[in-house]
Formats: sequence, structure tokens, C-alpha cells
Amino acid sequence: MDNIKAIDIRQLHKSYGRVPALQGVDIDVDQGEIFGFLGPNGAGKTTTIRCMLDMIRPQSGFIRIFGFDPRLDPNILHTKVGYLPGELNLEANRKVRNTLRYFVELRGNSVDWDYVLYLVDRLELDLETPVKNLSKGNKQKVGLVQAMMHKPELLIMDEPTSGLDPLMQQEVYRLLRQAKTEGSTVFFSSHVINEVETLADRVAIISKGKIIEEAEPGELINMEVRRMQVRFREPVDIKPLTQVAGVELQSQNGGKQVTLRVEGDLDAVIKALARYPVSDMDLQRQSLEQAFLTYYQGVSLEGG
Amino acid sequence: MFTEFKHTLRRLRGSIIGWGIGIFSYGLLMASFYSAMQGMEDFTELLENYPQEMLAFFPSISEIMTPQGYMDTYYFAYMTLIIGIFSVAAGGNLLVADEEKGILDLLIAYPVNRSGFFLGRLAGYLVATAVILIISWLGWLIPSGSSGLGLDAVQLLKPFLPLYVILVLFGMFALFLSMLLPSARSAAGLSGAMLVINFLLVGLSNINPELQEIYVLTPLYFYQGGSAVVGVDWVSILFLSDLAMILVLLAWWLFTRREIRVGGEGGWKLPNLGFNIRRI
Repeated sequence: MDNIKAIDIRQLHKSYGRVPALQGVDIDVDQGEIFGFLGPNGAGKTTTIRCMLDMIRPQSGFIRIFGFDPRLDPNILHTKVGYLPGELNLEANRKVRNTLRYFVELRGNSVDWDYVLYLVDRLELDLETPVKNLSKGNKQKVGLVQAMMHKPELLIMDEPTSGLDPLMQQEVYRLLRQAKTEGSTVFFSSHVINEVETLADRVAIISKGKIIEEAEPGELINMEVRRMQVRFREPVDIKPLTQVAGVELQSQNGGKQVTLRVEGDLDAVIKALARYPVSDMDLQRQSLEQAFLTYYQGVSLEGG
Repeated sequence: MFTEFKHTLRRLRGSIIGWGIGIFSYGLLMASFYSAMQGMEDFTELLENYPQEMLAFFPSISEIMTPQGYMDTYYFAYMTLIIGIFSVAAGGNLLVADEEKGILDLLIAYPVNRSGFFLGRLAGYLVATAVILIISWLGWLIPSGSSGLGLDAVQLLKPFLPLYVILVLFGMFALFLSMLLPSARSAAGLSGAMLVINFLLVGLSNINPELQEIYVLTPLYFYQGGSAVVGVDWVSILFLSDLAMILVLLAWWLFTRREIRVGGEGGWKLPNLGFNIRRI
């Protein structure tokens, strides 16, 4: 059983009418792995996940989850899987407690309610609040609890930290690492490079329905492109700054303010800035779409 | 399956209470009026002077002084239309409303197979409709001692059976349509329209005999109404039940093969029935 892949997907094709959503996706995930599925919005992440759970049917391809075909054995599969959808919707009029009770009942009351309370406590969720009064972040916490409450063998999470504040995002990362330690496999999608880099053991990058690369998380830093605005206390000579590898000058204002485009590691540029009288600095990440375009410059994404 | 059954009943409890109380009160009122009407000797004469077009919609009006004629004219002839609103709305929304809200996406990932999910919801709907009719029946039963109808509990219950079957039939038609049409609202709307057209055909076919040919092919032709007080037409009940069962099977077949939508997907397309799947 240990040799069986947690997820084995080959040549998955799915179209919505004439619009191709997946064009031959191949993914394999080992048991006990945290696997990040990175891609911009509309790349095919959710479609892949929904095919894996037999919510939609691909036109062709091969999917096995722990060796089971989702179409033939959905019940066995759903027993082993905890799922968090990308767009979580819950019954509005129920309290959180009753919502979770309902989910426990759907799992045949096989869930340890004390563990549910433990997760509720970890995520600082109020059980007595009606779902309609929850913020997006708190709704997401309900989704996380229901996905993890039965300690599934495989966690499939579509954008797990969507809507959560940074502190709570860290707590979710800890919970997912804990799940891995306890033997679970985690498959999560994200469009945030930093998140995948922090959490995943391995990463697949999808764009326009194709896996364009499988990467080690450490390699993702090279994809990071940031826009850096720096203000100086007095006019300075910025020429040495623009000569740092990966740095490109975008604009300047009389030597008192510069906007730089920085690719990859920040170490060199920070060290170069240390020689200047910096009064303020602002750092913005590019969107994943922009980062992809930059990183794969010269590579046609259309042709794969 | 049982969880979904309970869940469906819980969700429909507002409708059960609302419709139940409303129809119960109306039944109570109508039952109480029966004895008062018996003393109105000119009433039959008055009714006979009504325009034929109006009388055509109440086929039992000539028997209005009998318990079955009275119950049919004042209650069962148009209860199909009144409670039919609940029936088609609940049927059309039974599964697809959750899909439209994006809730089904999560529920279907639980270890309840689609057939179990379908059956749980269907059972909830069938019980909810039955409970509404039982509450409605109590509206006739409670004043039965003083109403002068002279009918016992079972006799009063009998006309509710064909009413239940016809309501379920139109509800299942809405459920079936919801598997094909892009929204629960369009499925409920179209089935409701079919019910109204069928109801109009009942009357119009009495005025225009040429419409009889169409009317005899419609469900309400097999609906017994208040005359079931004196004996239930089991053949019609079985026929309508069979039709409802066929619609249930079709809806179940489509649901188990359906692509569960999240917002924006799908539309006026036949569902992916799985015939075109190639495997490697």
C-alpha cells in the first residue's frame, strides 16, 4: 500500500464547451508529501481538484487517488479525503456548532468531537455565531475544520489561507505540517508563490491548463519579482544600485526617490542599500501572472 | 442518507408550518360552512345561473349539497394549484438550489454517494408534502363532529391521497426539469406553468369539447378530487404514481451523472452523461 501514490493523474483533459480547461495534466504525489499546486487564476487548479473528487468528469485521462478511481469508488475516496473548496459556501442560518455537527453526521458520526473542538480552539472560531454573521476569514476557518476534523489520509485544499489574516495563515501552515507529521498527504492549490515556497515539499506549476514545471520550493524565489520604492534623506548617486544583479531602474525623482524592479533574492540589493541614507522603503510583490511572464520570458506558454 | 433526510425536513420546516397552518385554517373554515349552506335552499338555483365558463372549472358543482361535491368544489378542485406552488418550488429546489449557492460542491465530497444523497432529499420532500396534507386533513377532521358532513376520519382522508399523488407528480416534474434547465427557478417556473395550463384545460375542455382530446392526456384528467370520499380510484392513483416514479428515476439518473457546477458553469446544455470519456 505504501508504494501506491496518493495522487496519480495522467494526461487529464477537460473542456467547458469549446474552452479547454485542462490540456494533458500529469501530477503524481507521494504519500506523506505536502504538494503545492501553483498557478494564476483560471489556470486550471480548481478544475483539476474537482476532477479528482468526481464533481466534474474529464473528457479523457487517468486519475487514481490511493489507487482508487474517483468515478468508480467515490465513497471510499471521500472517506479518505478532507476537502476545502476554493469558494466555500455554507448554509447561512445555521450556527457554526450546528454546521459542524451536520458535517460530522455526514461522516457517519465517526469523527471525534473533541478533535473538532481542538481545531476550533486552534483557529479561534466561535461555535455560537450564525454562519451568516461570519467574516470571509471565519467562514474559511469553518471550512478548514470540516476538512481536517476526521484526520483524513489526504487533504485537498483549494486556496486554504484565502481570507485569513497573516497570523492565522501561520497557524494553518502549522496545522498542515502537523497533519503531515501524523501521516497525512496534503495537496493544496495557491496563487501565492510565497505560501507554496513556505509550505510545500514539492510544487507543480500550472498555466493555461498545462503543467509547465515541477519545481523544488527553493527554486520559486527566482520567480519572485518585486517593485521596490526607496526614499533617501538627501539626493544620492543611484548608479551603483542599478548595477546590482537582478535590479532594474524603473523611475527616479532627482536622486531622492527611486523605483526599482528586483528579480529573485533580495540579499544583494539590501546590502547595496545599506550604504545609502534610506528614509523609507516600500516593497510590492508582482502578481503571479506577471511573475510567470517574467520568469518564462522567451518561453511560449501557449506551446508549453 | 438519513442525515440528508433530516436535513431536508429541517430546511422545509418553515414551509411545512406556513403551508400547513394556512391550508388547515382554510379547511377548518370550509368544513364549518357546510352545515350553514345546507339551509340555503336557493343556493343551488343561484349557482345554476352562474356563467357556464365559470361553472366549467368546478365539475362537481351540481353535487355541491353532497359532502363529496362540496369538498371538491370548495377545496380539492383547486388545491392542486394552491399547494402545487409549494410542490413545484420544493421539487425544483431540492438539489439544484444548493448547487446554485455553491453548497453542493462541498457536500458531494462527503462519503454519501450521490444516490444516497438523492434518496435522502427525496424522502425529506415526500414526508414534508405528506405532513402538510396531514395538517390540512386535520382542518376537516377537527370540526367534523359539528360540520354536518357526516364523514369519518378515513373518509375525510381519502381525497387527500389523490391530491398527494398529483402534487408529488408535479414536484417530481420540477425535480426532473431542474436536472436539465440552468436554474432551479426556471425548473419550478416551467413546472408551475404546466400545472396552471393543465388546470385551465380542466375548465376549458368542459366548454370546448375539442380540447377533451388533449385534456385526457394530462395528469389532472386522472385526478379524482373530492369524489374520492366515496371510493378511491386506485387505477388512477397507480398510473400517476408510476409517472412520478419514472420522473424520479430520470432525475436520479441525471443527478448521478451530473457535473456539479460552481457559479458560472453550465447552462442550457445536456449534462455530460459520461459516454464520451476516453481512458488511457
